[in-house]
Amino acid sequence: MADEFPKTPLLDELEKGAWPSFVSEIKMAAKRNAASRDLLGLLERSYREKIGHWKHGGIVGVLGYGGGVIGRYCDVPEEFPNVSHFHTIRVNQPSGWYYSTSALRKICDIWERHGSGLTNMHGSTGDIILLGTRTDELEPTFSELTEVGFDLGGSGSDVRTPSCCLGKSRCEWACYDTMALTYDLTKSFQDELHRPAFPYKFKFKMSGCPNDCVASVARADISIIGTWRDDIRIDHDAVMEYAEKGLDIQKHVVNFCPGKCMEWTGKKLTIDNSTCRHCMHCLNLMPKALRPGKDQGAVVLIGSKAPIIEGALLSSVLIPFWNPQPPYSDLKDLVGRIWDLWCEEGKNRERIGEFIQRVGMGNFLEMIGVEPIAEMVAHPRENPYVFYEEYLVEDDGEEEEGQN
Amino acid sequence: MPEPTKKRITDIGPPHYEQFLPPAVKANYGKWLYHEFVRPGVLMHASETGDKLYTVRAGGSRLMSIDKIRMICDLADKYCEGYLRFTSRHNIEFMLTDPSKIDALIADLAKLGHPVGGTGRSITSIVHTQGWIHCHSAATDASGIVKAVMDGVIEHFQNEDLPAKCRIALACCLNMCGAVHCSDIAILGVHRRPPMIDHASLKKTCEIPNVSASCPTAAIRPGVVNGFESVVVEEDRCMFCANCYTVCPSMKLNDPLNDGVSIWVGGKVSNARHEPMFSKLAIPYIPNNPPRWPEVVDAITNIIDVWKANARLNERLGEWIERVGWPRFFQLTGIQFEKLHIDDFKHAGLTFKRSAHLMY
Amino acid sequence: MAQMLTPQEAAEAMFNMVKEATGLRKLKPMDLTKNLLEAYGDRVDKQICKEAIKELVDSGRCVYTYFGGTYLELPHREGAAND
Repeated sequence: MADEFPKTPLLDELEKGAWPSFVSEIKMAAKRNAASRDLLGLLERSYREKIGHWKHGGIVGVLGYGGGVIGRYCDVPEEFPNVSHFHTIRVNQPSGWYYSTSALRKICDIWERHGSGLTNMHGSTGDIILLGTRTDELEPTFSELTEVGFDLGGSGSDVRTPSCCLGKSRCEWACYDTMALTYDLTKSFQDELHRPAFPYKFKFKMSGCPNDCVASVARADISIIGTWRDDIRIDHDAVMEYAEKGLDIQKHVVNFCPGKCMEWTGKKLTIDNSTCRHCMHCLNLMPKALRPGKDQGAVVLIGSKAPIIEGALLSSVLIPFWNPQPPYSDLKDLVGRIWDLWCEEGKNRERIGEFIQRVGMGNFLEMIGVEPIAEMVAHPRENPYVFYEEYLVEDDGEEEEGQN
Repeated sequence: MPEPTKKRITDIGPPHYEQFLPPAVKANYGKWLYHEFVRPGVLMHASETGDKLYTVRAGGSRLMSIDKIRMICDLADKYCEGYLRFTSRHNIEFMLTDPSKIDALIADLAKLGHPVGGTGRSITSIVHTQGWIHCHSAATDASGIVKAVMDGVIEHFQNEDLPAKCRIALACCLNMCGAVHCSDIAILGVHRRPPMIDHASLKKTCEIPNVSASCPTAAIRPGVVNGFESVVVEEDRCMFCANCYTVCPSMKLNDPLNDGVSIWVGGKVSNARHEPMFSKLAIPYIPNNPPRWPEVVDAITNIIDVWKANARLNERLGEWIERVGWPRFFQLTGIQFEKLHIDDFKHAGLTFKRSAHLMY
Repeated sequence: MAQMLTPQEAAEAMFNMVKEATGLRKLKPMDLTKNLLEAYGDRVDKQICKEAIKELVDSGRCVYTYFGGTYLELPHREGAAND
């Protein structure tokens, strides 16, 4: 089977059209690789039968690590022996997904020797994904990767590979150095990343500004989003330049401001920064004229996740303004307290956001030693079911802890 | 089990990013002043040092062969001093200091089959999962639908011709390996048949209390079936999340007769104008129709066309719907509103219309 | 002050716990830590437990496994494996 190119009439339909075709990619690899040839045949069968043909493996990995390898076995190995094992390796990407071609070529060479020759650039968490190899190739692949300076990313109940936007490297809006923070956290948490010890996964995502290009607010347990506290910097000549070039500043900039904090006279733009919501809309439309203020830092939010298990959550504010300064000890201390509590009290497969829902945000804050502040809520509670924690008894008039 | 190899290196973490920065990026790190959209797919970043950096963004297919990566490296060697980067949405970015080389680079990319675009008010590459390529719990394929949809909307990748940017994402099951739940348009693989339990193997491979506990609606309880210690599922309470299958391979939900996709709209993660929002259900179910899922492609192009024709400039899909109301969204798109659109999970009442603010 | 367990002794104790639980219940790394703290009181701490788990896995006596969550088990051929 594997020596010949399988016939793939259904998949061939996906080589038509202008968008790059993943089928053509698999075929390219299949010219020299038997696993890729069998993958083509297996996928064609899935397209015919409308069902996948994979079993989840749960034990394969490299020695000493509990994360970084996703075990996978084909459920029709007799027919497709070269994808009988088809494990994925997650390789920790460099901050911002920048590469030298020499580094990329080294990874390609390793994967040519040890795997299917197929990759994802990149997986959803941000890792380089080396797609498909056999159990006995895992250790040699890992060994060669570390030789050229790459290590595995996270999987399972551990710190997942932190990821970030490109930040200050190529963006004028980055309010802190996302790439530096991401690198530092990843290096600091190597043990937590490679040796799963948590109730479930834990993700960090770093965005340089409220545009949130890495979707941290939707899919990170700790979302760190850059922002500023002082006034938006205005270059009035550049504002006029945008107006003269045809931008209707009233209609497209001012009218869309959610804080209703801008005025445009036709000659001058003014901003009431005290009610600016730091949404980025005006900066997005006039990047040459408007810049974030100089007092820059980040909002730290906690708890977002996809639906499994108790429903999807967005992150909510934990620290309204944080000044990220190496070695970031304040953040690491806080995260350490959160992990201690979650490891002690969290249930199996319970993300931190779900844990907070279960125990109550107020109780959670108390347990990690963070003061509750109004920035953490959209509004105070609407229901009167308040868990008052103390009450008076007639005897001595002193407040005592309630017994129930 | 793997044998320890000699002199193992572990816990080194990722290589430091600085060695991978193009010289112009390194020299202007933290010094960028502003950017301009030169043309679709091409950005110019200006630095306070006076330097200008041109970025050419090419669409990628996420699943790439090492052969293709090497070809892309050849282009980066030829035009970009041996450096390149990828975006959070699988695009490939080439950074140049000499704008006169942009046309030649774009022509070379076209020869490789990679279109340029995805900047500004456009649709960019679709974030997606593994699907039938690699996943055990997939209710649909990922790469195939993505390829078909991108073929259908490529004009909006290559032209900045939409009211605002439009982020499409696909997850092949409810596990959602990717932030599809906050996308302008989300394609979500769904199962529709309760677990087909392999009672004979369950006790051997899984822990029954774990399986029971995995169910968000408490539909799974221990039980003896055909003499096997196993579990019983109360089918009325199953909402097909497949969490039980994730913890126990004997609880298979994959089923070619019933699996398919649902379409969700109006989410966003950016804070620009409106706060981040979840996507909401537009189409509860479309059967899997490989290889090109034409019904899914039509549904998505229809939603985009209606949004483009009716929204104001700057309005993301969800912002437009919020202004004109969901009844008008359903009316204009011709999508039938039905019982399944009404939430009945926790806090469902918060999603009901609780005022007389209606449009006629 | 009681004599603290060495990480090797702690690993041995954990290994026995995993062995006894095999076939009955899968243990997560945090379960092992909690069990050890309960069994040995102030003779162990979280850091020793952490080193013990590393020792347990690096020596090949236990392996990490994953089914929705990460567990520590005796090395075995997994159900899904093909030859």
